[in-house]
Amino acid sequence: MSGASTTLGEPAEAAPSPSATSRLGRRLVDVPEIGIVLAVIVAFVIFSSINPLVASVSELQNLGVDLAGFGILAVGESLTIITGGIDLSPGSLTAFFVVVSAWFLTTERVPVLLVFVITTAFGALWGLWHGFLITRLGIAPFVATLVTYIFAAGANEAIAPNPIPINNSTFLALAGSTLFEIPIATLVFVVIAILGWFFLERTYIGRETYAVGGNREAARLAGIPVNRRIVLAYVVSGACAGVVGMIVASHLTSGTADSVSGWELIAIAASVIGGVSLVGGQGRMIGVVAGAALLVILRDGLVAVNVNAYYQSMVVGVVLLAAIVIDRFRVHSLERAGSHFDRRHPLDAVVDKAKQSTAPMG
Amino acid sequence: MSQGTSSITGRPGAPGEDLVLTGVRKAYGPVVVLDVDHLALRRGEVVGLVGENGAGKSTMMGVVAGSVRPDTGTVSIGGRVLGAGGPLHAQHLGVAMVSQEFPLVGQLTAAENLLLGRRPGKNRHLVDKRAADAVARGILAEVGLDISPRRKVDSLSVAQRQMLEIAKALGRKPLVLILDEPTSALAPAESDIVLQLARRHAAGGGIVIFVGHRMHEVQALSDRFIVLRNGRIVSDLRREEATEQRLVRDMVGRDIEAMAEVSSSQANRPVAFEARQLAAEGLGPLDLAVREGEIVGVAGLMGSGRSRLLHVIAGARPSTHGEMRLSNSRYRPRNTCDAVAAGVGLVPEDRKAQALLLDSPIRWNVTLAVLRRISWRRLVLSVRSDKKEADRIVAAARVRCTTPEQAARALSGGNQQRLVFGRWIAVQPRLLLLDEPTRGVDVGAKAEIYSLIDEQRKQGMAIVVVSSELEELLLMCHRIIVMRGGRIAAEFKRSEFSKERIIAAAAIDRVAG
Repeated sequence: MSGASTTLGEPAEAAPSPSATSRLGRRLVDVPEIGIVLAVIVAFVIFSSINPLVASVSELQNLGVDLAGFGILAVGESLTIITGGIDLSPGSLTAFFVVVSAWFLTTERVPVLLVFVITTAFGALWGLWHGFLITRLGIAPFVATLVTYIFAAGANEAIAPNPIPINNSTFLALAGSTLFEIPIATLVFVVIAILGWFFLERTYIGRETYAVGGNREAARLAGIPVNRRIVLAYVVSGACAGVVGMIVASHLTSGTADSVSGWELIAIAASVIGGVSLVGGQGRMIGVVAGAALLVILRDGLVAVNVNAYYQSMVVGVVLLAAIVIDRFRVHSLERAGSHFDRRHPLDAVVDKAKQSTAPMG
Repeated sequence: MSQGTSSITGRPGAPGEDLVLTGVRKAYGPVVVLDVDHLALRRGEVVGLVGENGAGKSTMMGVVAGSVRPDTGTVSIGGRVLGAGGPLHAQHLGVAMVSQEFPLVGQLTAAENLLLGRRPGKNRHLVDKRAADAVARGILAEVGLDISPRRKVDSLSVAQRQMLEIAKALGRKPLVLILDEPTSALAPAESDIVLQLARRHAAGGGIVIFVGHRMHEVQALSDRFIVLRNGRIVSDLRREEATEQRLVRDMVGRDIEAMAEVSSSQANRPVAFEARQLAAEGLGPLDLAVREGEIVGVAGLMGSGRSRLLHVIAGARPSTHGEMRLSNSRYRPRNTCDAVAAGVGLVPEDRKAQALLLDSPIRWNVTLAVLRRISWRRLVLSVRSDKKEADRIVAAARVRCTTPEQAARALSGGNQQRLVFGRWIAVQPRLLLLDEPTRGVDVGAKAEIYSLIDEQRKQGMAIVVVSSELEELLLMCHRIIVMRGGRIAAEFKRSEFSKERIIAAAAIDRVAG
């Protein structure tokens, strides 16, 4: 602690060389996303061995379109959670944009490319509104987005009491066509996920977003524009809902008011399963993508192996629970691993233990 | 120090030596936290155990109390070897420990707490309240604690709880009484009682191990001093050898030198920061100028506006009046981003709550305020430039870590503080504001933080330090301003420094307007 100034790196020589298994253990601790990726693979192998059709091209394409929906929402959702907030609106907003994009396209006859742009922009604008409520008026994210959750659900019914048919081929290509056998929607998801990864891990704004969620006051005092980072997360989340709305509309070939429900919870679950901490400041895009993939595979896979729909939600619940429990274990082992290098930490634990032991309960 | 003779054989110790540690070693991973060849304590001794945070005091106490199992070695208590039974066995052998925080059960009464695990009276299954009260009253009287045994612990003051805790330990009639900073929550009168109790326990043939942070208390009480450093016993001193200077030197491993010469006046350096008639809610109006390479200390009581002043300058709180200038250009921060961009940094008071991303890597923490600058085209943050910058800062701020990828949470207090300091070394602001820069760090780490501050000062940084430790300000500042009620009550040049006058200026109300 005192005296000789050993700086960076030196204590490493004292570290025991880890065995192969403990190295794998450490890696799992450092990169928890690996576990979820493995779970995705295992789940897929199990389902396709029960029902080989799961691995067929058409089923995989279906899977890809579903993944695009959940996955894109999860990307936006995870950003808001990383800032320490939450977005309850994506499900309702998606349903809203299913109707709105169809309405633009069919009822208002807006050119299709423009529909892509204005629907996304509309979503971003709605996210901006959330950001305004949260940062300027100091409304809790939960409440600010809950308002939208309720409002948008009613609004889409109001706009389209009856489904609005869509017959624009470019628009329908979004979910209906493929490029190299991959659905366009899935490609859109891949691009968005890569952008999300790049944003979080390769831009300074992304790092600052983590900092805002990790310790808001520390971020503020370090000169980070906290409010702008928060607003951006909700803007992205809103825009993602716009994109997903169009994908769903394209998939359904109509603007149907009650097209999706509960997707915000799936997006939140995907984030949490993927290792995004609800406290904020933690989580990576690869985990979010894997979390979304796991949920989609479970959902579609359980259908494919003829499991009753009731059980699907239960399975998802169990997976969520498992993810949370594993995360707790991971955090504990991380704290223990950290304590190797810490002079105070193990002692604190020792003292705590000693304190408890002075008062044995019978 | 009687070393060697009985250490290898595992013999429980010579007669009269009733607590013997032999070859005790404990490591957590690669870090050896305790390594004691031989230590024998005799009945009737009060032993002061001193050392910095992390020196191994807690581990040593834990080993004696049975809650920490050493990797090697034996502990024998009253001639019997402490076995694998752990804390219960240690208790059985006569070890009682009083710690700083209270493992008392709040919903239970004083008597119930005192007798936890014991059941006076005849019935084996039912609690005989009257018998319990009688026993408890006796124990309470012994420590001079005048409360009803039926009082709930929740309703007691912190000091009363601490006394109750001591009563509980003494109630077991232990051979070895371990007191871990027992007086930190107590007023002087109560501390005296504790010290007397400890003396009495030793006089009655017990052994007292006393850990205290108030050095004069340890000195007043102990017959013998064990100094731990890096898990080893570096000295074992008799009362007359143990001067304060000697103890501190042994704890730290060297004499703490006064900080590098600050006597050279900075009066002819250019002014780096100036505030005129600066006012904010609960602050000012006040004038303040800091020159390049100058350290200005801010003294004052809690609530005198010290921290508020720093926060206003750092743009973290709005100012309502007045103007500020930074290197002769107008400085009007609307928020902390403006302040950092203009070259003002703040090391806040509470590093965990206000400065650190505890669960993020050290790397993220040190580069937090320079992310934009080290990004390619002011946008793309490459892992390489981030790592390079982090390595540079970790070295410059002398943060001791295995790798910058470790979580900041795993560092000790002093290391965390250097980490936060490093964040601003990276920025190189013109004006650095330090709010309690050495709070909660140990003596050695303090000295290092002082030298880091001095290095930055020498490079021309203007520095304002708020501290509750007057010695610290006297040591490192060129000037000290004293705040009271949000205003500057007095100002002292280095040649006029006087502890008494500064304290008087901070504490005395309304002498000057």
